[in-house]
Amino acid sequence: MKKFFAVLLAAMMMVSMLSFASAEGFSGEVKVWVAEAVVDFTNQQVEAFKAANPDYANMTVTVQAVGEGDAASNMITDVEGGADIFGFAQDQLARLVAAGALEVVEESNAAVVEKENDAGSVAAVKMGDVMYAYPMTSDNGYFLYYDKSVVTDPTNLEAILADCEKAGKNFYFEINSGWYQTAFFFGAGATLTYDSDEEGNLVGINCTYNSEEGLKALKSMIKVAKSPAFMNGSSASNATNIGAIVDGTWDANVLMDMLGENFAATKLPTVDGYQLGGFGGFKMLGVKPQVDEAKLAACDALAAFLTSGDVQLARYNVAQWGPSNLAAQQDPAVQENEALAALAAQLAFTMPQGQYPGEYWSLATALGDDIIADKLDNATDEELMDVLKNFAETAATYIK
Amino acid sequence: MTDLEYLSLSKPAKIGYDFLSFLKRIPLGIAHGTKNLVLNTGRFFKTLWNEIVDVVMTFVNGDWITRLSFLVMGFGNCMRKQPLRGILFFVFQTVFNLYMFTFGMPYLAKFATLGDVPTTKKGRVTVYGDNSFFILLYGILTIFFVLAFIYTWRVNVKQNKLGQQYLKEGRKFKGAREDLRSIADEQFHKTLLALPTLGIFTFTVLPIIFMILVAFTNFDYEHQPPSKLFTWVGWQNFSTLLSSGGANYGDTFRQVLFWTLMWAFFATFLNYFLGMLVAIMINKKGIRLKKMWRTILVMTIAIPQFVSLLYVSKMFAADGLINGTLMRWGWISSPIPFWTNAAWARFTVILINLWIGIPYLMLIATGILMNIPADLYESARMDGANAIQMYMKITLPYMLFVTGPYLLTSFIGNINNFNVIFLLSQGKPLSLELAGNAGYTDLLITWLYKMTVSDTNYKIAAVIGILVFIITVVINLVVYNLMPSVKNEEDFQ
Repeated sequence: MKKFFAVLLAAMMMVSMLSFASAEGFSGEVKVWVAEAVVDFTNQQVEAFKAANPDYANMTVTVQAVGEGDAASNMITDVEGGADIFGFAQDQLARLVAAGALEVVEESNAAVVEKENDAGSVAAVKMGDVMYAYPMTSDNGYFLYYDKSVVTDPTNLEAILADCEKAGKNFYFEINSGWYQTAFFFGAGATLTYDSDEEGNLVGINCTYNSEEGLKALKSMIKVAKSPAFMNGSSASNATNIGAIVDGTWDANVLMDMLGENFAATKLPTVDGYQLGGFGGFKMLGVKPQVDEAKLAACDALAAFLTSGDVQLARYNVAQWGPSNLAAQQDPAVQENEALAALAAQLAFTMPQGQYPGEYWSLATALGDDIIADKLDNATDEELMDVLKNFAETAATYIK
Repeated sequence: MTDLEYLSLSKPAKIGYDFLSFLKRIPLGIAHGTKNLVLNTGRFFKTLWNEIVDVVMTFVNGDWITRLSFLVMGFGNCMRKQPLRGILFFVFQTVFNLYMFTFGMPYLAKFATLGDVPTTKKGRVTVYGDNSFFILLYGILTIFFVLAFIYTWRVNVKQNKLGQQYLKEGRKFKGAREDLRSIADEQFHKTLLALPTLGIFTFTVLPIIFMILVAFTNFDYEHQPPSKLFTWVGWQNFSTLLSSGGANYGDTFRQVLFWTLMWAFFATFLNYFLGMLVAIMINKKGIRLKKMWRTILVMTIAIPQFVSLLYVSKMFAADGLINGTLMRWGWISSPIPFWTNAAWARFTVILINLWIGIPYLMLIATGILMNIPADLYESARMDGANAIQMYMKITLPYMLFVTGPYLLTSFIGNINNFNVIFLLSQGKPLSLELAGNAGYTDLLITWLYKMTVSDTNYKIAAVIGILVFIITVVINLVVYNLMPSVKNEEDFQ
């Protein structure tokens, strides 16, 4: 019996020594969730990170493929079981902060992020003045792809629709998405933004949809939806008969294959005399709140590394994710990309996407579905105004 | 009405009479139920009182062994030559005490508030406070454990009373060997059922109670453990969902409920009659290549719905195969809004559901149709009945009799038919006229899914879950009692 205790004691001492020895760096496990397309890339970069930081060389990093949308939902459902570092699109930021799934970015890292990334992406990772995530890409926006043999004048939506109708092709625009819809509203001069405090709560709304500008936008949308060439959708791989499509950089490869020599990309067209606007969007990397200081430091360091300029550029070269880092954006390889050039051209007319409540997206879908279902086709201006007023009022009920 | 009068009624009149008498029985049934409830409650309290009196009397009349056994369970059994029982009692008590003091107590203590210590920050490190989720879950578990303990303690007291009595009467005690033999023999059912009962309790009963209780809390995206607390709110969620004011949840709920019932009705009965029709046609004498027709139909069953339904939903899209073809042929000038118009979308899901439902019904009906005695038809034909008469008087009653329970379960199944709706339309189209992310083809079950998965609105989802349960139970009970297979059990035997 004594022997047994002796062995036990010795074992305990060894364990405590081991954990003491590792207190400087971190040698536990860190779970990372990124989109499937960049899992291998992230694994390579994690190795590079370990090589560059001997303190963390013994850390076990598991990289799992979890898409940006799923990552946010999974984190919200089960914070404790979720990843320590995870990639997500910025529309999820408010939800994640409200659910307590994001740790504030460490001060020195935040200063670096602020300095090295474009202004839009820096604004997007903040709630109030507090930075909650590391910007990773600045390519989550949309612009126009078109078939050169069909569309003769890509600067004007009426002309595009006429060309598509003539050729029996379709113009794809996801009018029932709160994300794409803003192209019309913002373009016409209406706005809808929410003010957030530092804890992820939305405390104020600035909505001018129920105005002349909003009415103009809504009427344009109804007009476009009436065209026989109009097709609701924004996924190139689901589209069957593309004349033109409003889509983002993620579908560039699909469209290049599909359209071949006739592939072209440019900024969004004008409609009814105004330029279509919209959101500029971003992908980011977040760190979840930690109970262990050493692990938190390790996660901070890894997240900062994975979103640094060099890694962003490398990620562009592997997966064509457009960087948010200013230096990486100047790289010739990035500058040559046709889709990213179109996105950059559109950037002048967009506003950085701020924080929106989850309900906003379904509200916008509901409005879009009503337009597609032709419910508003024969409505008078007053009736349309009522719809917009109702929309603005409902959107205002989401603030606390 | 006498039996003779009833039998002389026409078929619809009979059904009407049945239905009316069913309605008439409802108040009686309610009165009966209330009376039973009062009686049973009275009986329960009487039993409880008797038990308490018995426990007290056992203590008063007990010797020192019995009295000590009140505190140390199993002591009496050990002293009275039943060491196995005694040890088991003692082990149970020890486990219970250990559980309570190390685990259960803290959760139970906070059960009334579901936690009050918020999550805080210490520098950059997070210090989690109470976790309402675990408090609720383990609180329930602990309550059950306490009930089990009280029961066991009561058994322990009873054993002591019996023990004293046996000693006084000089009767022999059951030893350990006899006890062991008994659980393998006359109490063998308990041995067999112990594990399944435990499994059902942990994996079914506990989660259900948990979900029911969630309906009385404010567990949603703003109150998300571990960093936020949630707490009890009483009936508030029910009034949100059922009242017509507020965020308009009430109107949306009625709309979704209406469509759910409509869908269940059409999905069940259209499939049923069309499937039967197809089976009758294939079964008809003179139809050639019977096996081929059946194989073609069964093919839809062979392909997983996940594949076929997703594909079909694309086919019906505005730029899909069907619209494209019709437009190329010049039959329509603009795409038919299969998925974007509320009425069309509802029609389309019912239509597509026919395509996947008919083959199943065809198979079932084929088997039953072959079972109908041919002499029934023969004599009907001799009496000069035509095909329709034979169908109405022989085939349909027989089918209804045999498949009545199936119809009922498939109606209930269709109320909860998640797959078809979610794979085809995801509940779309949405509208500004509906609240809570609900769409015009949403069933209660798909709406519930959206609420839990994309909106993290567990409180309302739990209420919907309870309401779905109530609705299905009511329909089940009403229809089951009206069914010919239950009422006239001997008709076709």
